[in-house]
Amino acid sequence: MKLTIEAALCIVARGAYRALLAAALNAMLAACDRASAQTAFTLPAPPFELPLLPPVSGDWTVMIGAEGQYRPDFEGANHSLFSPVPIFSIRRAGSVEQFRSPRDNPSIALIDFGNLRAGPAGKFVPSRKAGSYSELSGFGDVKAAFELGGFIEYFPVDWFRVRNETRGGFGGHQGVVSDFSADFIVPVTRAITVSVGPRFTWESTKAVAPYFNIDAIQAMATGLPMFDAKGGAHSVGAGAQVKYRINPQWEVHSYIEYDRLLGDAAKSPIVTARGSVNQTTVGIGASYSFDFKIR
Amino acid sequence: MHTASRYAWTAMIVLFLIAMIVLLVLSSDAHAWFETRDEKLRAVKTVGIVSAIGDQFTLAKAGLTGLDNSSRSVSIASWGLDDLIVQRVGEALSNRFQVQPVTYSRATFATVRESAIAAVDLVRGDRFKKLVQTEVSPQGLDAYIVITKAKANFGGGNRKVEGVGLITYRTVLESVGLLHALYEIRVVDGRTFDVIEKLAAGPSDSASSVRLAGPSLVIDAKFDEPDETLRRAVVDLLIRSLPNTLSDMHLLNPRQ
Repeated sequence: MKLTIEAALCIVARGAYRALLAAALNAMLAACDRASAQTAFTLPAPPFELPLLPPVSGDWTVMIGAEGQYRPDFEGANHSLFSPVPIFSIRRAGSVEQFRSPRDNPSIALIDFGNLRAGPAGKFVPSRKAGSYSELSGFGDVKAAFELGGFIEYFPVDWFRVRNETRGGFGGHQGVVSDFSADFIVPVTRAITVSVGPRFTWESTKAVAPYFNIDAIQAMATGLPMFDAKGGAHSVGAGAQVKYRINPQWEVHSYIEYDRLLGDAAKSPIVTARGSVNQTTVGIGASYSFDFKIR
Repeated sequence: MHTASRYAWTAMIVLFLIAMIVLLVLSSDAHAWFETRDEKLRAVKTVGIVSAIGDQFTLAKAGLTGLDNSSRSVSIASWGLDDLIVQRVGEALSNRFQVQPVTYSRATFATVRESAIAAVDLVRGDRFKKLVQTEVSPQGLDAYIVITKAKANFGGGNRKVEGVGLITYRTVLESVGLLHALYEIRVVDGRTFDVIEKLAAGPSDSASSVRLAGPSLVIDAKFDEPDETLRRAVVDLLIRSLPNTLSDMHLLNPRQ
């Protein structure tokens, strides 16, 4: 419930009305107490507590939702695929979600100076099955990759963020990927936030080669020329998102991320002959939040 | 043969680990590890209350700010918030515990800050444990209730707000003020000085249009300095939230 005391406070300077102000304030604060949102349910206290972990008693907020994501079939693809993505989070009641760009990967801030944060970050890159896409006919599969590394982000002011994630790959590739982004975060109203900013990605040769190389056997099988992809500037682009908090329970969001492949990724015949350097991801989602209590 | 030997070794290691876990669980130390807060609180008869949240009022700006968005602090020691908290908490706990007056240096407790590096706090432990041991008199009570400033994230960015204050959130189309009184309560064991329980006070209004993880109130008016109106609103936030927080910590009598 939004408690507005503007009407009462605008007369604060007038001594004759101080008593009236006090009465109005008391009445409104009492109304606030009655009208506060209730928790959906209450769970009993757990029968035991684990050492080193904080107790779980108190109010919690659960967020559930879904997002539809329309993104390229694989990096460099000409066609896109719609896929649903679940949304779930649980946090202490009242705590706010910090700004998050669609490009941000899961991370934990172990160093937090307020405007400067840093910590580990990770990303899962799904496998690329040649049999799943006609454009990759004649190429081999690329296994799923796990990328582990760190992130650092800095807010010089509340409405601007720069972030870097640098990760090393395991599995499908053993290279290094470094994502740079900047976001202007503009609160339009207390419920609507718009953000927009540029993106840039650098990748090492070992990160690029598994996805964009064409060896002799693949060249013979596909009719494409052999290609030896090297690392370097990998993509440049921009992203924008809008979040609208309809009410304390419901929130909707939408975003668009555009990348243009650069360097050897853009020059690979996989992209020039069968794909596209233009990579666009669009997402739209909605979430519902509710509170519960643990005794 | 080689494979059978490997399986035998694996089975022995698994059995050894299971035996160690069973021994650990059955030992008295392990029982202490998994002891619930209620079990620990059952042994507490005498408590002392330490409060150090209310000496400074912070005026801050967030959202669409200029390049200088630093906050400003004003002394509100004259508001007597800590004395009020000690009185209210004492009244609430007196039905269950024997509350005894304690003396301490309020400024010492108020100046403790968490490290920006999480690992530092993990290594050095809770700094209030040491302060209770060295700065509070008399010693020897079963537990000490320590109430200090809490910190919470605000808005979409990385802005943090702390303790008592007013943050003005500016957007393109509107500006809104959020009055806050953020605090956390620790229960420190008077013999071992371990923290039995620690909890930050929750939001007073979970349906507010501007969220903050602690007692807060949206106000659509401008204040350049803390005045009597804000004092009364802060006192109201504290008075309303303290019973809920103490209840969440299982410090109140179940019948209260």
